[in-house]
Amino acid sequence: MAHICAIGGGKGGSGKTFICANLGVTLAMHGKKVIVIDLDLGASNLHTLVGQNHPKTGLHRFLNKSVKDLSLTAEPTDIPGLFLISSLQCSLEAANLFYAQKQKIIRAIGQLPGDVVLLDLGAGTAYNTLDFFLAAHQGLFVLTPEPTSIQNTVQFIKAVYLRKLKHILKQNSFTNLIKEIEDESSDKVVSSPLDIVDRVMKSDPERARYLEGELNRFTFSLILNQHRGHIDMNLGKKIEKVCNRHFYSQFKFLGNIGYDERVCKSITGQKIFVVKYAYTPTATDLKNLSTHVTATRAKQPAVNEKYAQI
Amino acid sequence: MHKFEDLNYYELFEIPVNASHFEIRQAYRNALSIYGDDSTIGHSFFTTEERTKILQRIEDAFSTLINDTEREAYDKSLVARKIIDSSSLAIKRKNVPTPLFSSKSRGGDAVPKKIKRAIKERNLQGLVDEILSSEAISGNHLQRLRAAVGITLDDVFEVTRISVATLEAIENDHIESLPPTVYLRNFLKAYAELFEADAQKIIAGYLKSIERIRASS
Repeated sequence: MAHICAIGGGKGGSGKTFICANLGVTLAMHGKKVIVIDLDLGASNLHTLVGQNHPKTGLHRFLNKSVKDLSLTAEPTDIPGLFLISSLQCSLEAANLFYAQKQKIIRAIGQLPGDVVLLDLGAGTAYNTLDFFLAAHQGLFVLTPEPTSIQNTVQFIKAVYLRKLKHILKQNSFTNLIKEIEDESSDKVVSSPLDIVDRVMKSDPERARYLEGELNRFTFSLILNQHRGHIDMNLGKKIEKVCNRHFYSQFKFLGNIGYDERVCKSITGQKIFVVKYAYTPTATDLKNLSTHVTATRAKQPAVNEKYAQI
Repeated sequence: MHKFEDLNYYELFEIPVNASHFEIRQAYRNALSIYGDDSTIGHSFFTTEERTKILQRIEDAFSTLINDTEREAYDKSLVARKIIDSSSLAIKRKNVPTPLFSSKSRGGDAVPKKIKRAIKERNLQGLVDEILSSEAISGNHLQRLRAAVGITLDDVFEVTRISVATLEAIENDHIESLPPTVYLRNFLKAYAELFEADAQKIIAGYLKSIERIRASS
């Protein structure tokens, strides 16, 4: 079974697509069979970063039912072992995916062959993005050392968290609990998903333990992209510490990816960064990152069939 | 999992219960770099009220731990609540940062000087003459020389800088662990000079001795 790894993070321009493409290439060059999927629907550009300017097939053929199997929409790239599922030719309204279609895609991703499947997600915290993120074995948050990016990452983490929490609660019929909390708060929104956990703790300690256990199983990884020399080397570690302290899940900081002027150059020149600039510190950072992605191999399906029903 | 509010001051700062003042200060600075006013992390993760609460707790923790009397009282309350073990408090930590590298010797030439003086004070002339008069000089002879002064292999190392493993091989005639002859000659020379024996004779005698051992084996 392929190891599914989602690459997300709230803010646009933080380098999700760049990391997805170059991580895929690095893994493929180390002999893995990799499928990269562009799930930034409506704003696809993963194909450019893996050197396929005009993908011939893609996700649209799966969505319009011309092919039954998602793996048939994967297209080989110039890198041996790297396959691309592009969403370039999906309808212009693809960003607002129907619920059934989303479930269909999530289920199909779980059955893809190969060693690693990388999901490139869009910015923002729309349900589609969150659900794709939650469908993976491993979730990578990409952030940059700017306050804006950190803020959006926190929002994204909280949104993912709340979504996950709601999944668990719905399955276990704690549903009315969320409603109660929403009704109690002045503006009818849940400001922090942790309030829900606290609330369950107070009212029902036994269920709270179960909830904690479920949340604890969840592991998130953090990557600090565009790291420059003058920025605190331990920033990532500190964010990891705060997350681990204040959320109930496990967060792991996987490392910095150094800032490099040549990244911009490679994108403008439509060259794959880790191929053209293989011996740069940034390429080494990406290589180190790739070892973390393969270190945790999939043993069980990422998507619980139960979740797929919700 | 512990909730943030439930962490005790030591857990909050991630320091051992017997941490020194130096470590406490360092941990306080680290905590402020995460939750403080200048930190981007603090502003992104928490609302103003949450952060004020957290900062207040950090200040409380620091002012308690840095004050020895208050800290003692706090430790006692933790022990009473069975959160920490009183035995872990007993081990005192030094109030200084850990040295970058540690070595058993103090360095400098104080130790070699002391050893050389010890050799000078002990008149070895008789023993040396006896050893030199024998046809082949084995490692055992050299060992007797050292034993007569009463110094260890480590002391010989301090002066000659010949590794203890090599010295052991020489003194015990371990032919297979001896260095190549060209190095061995120099090591023997240094050894002989330390004990003020005729280096050339020692080398010749020792080489003859290991030649015999080789032939007999």
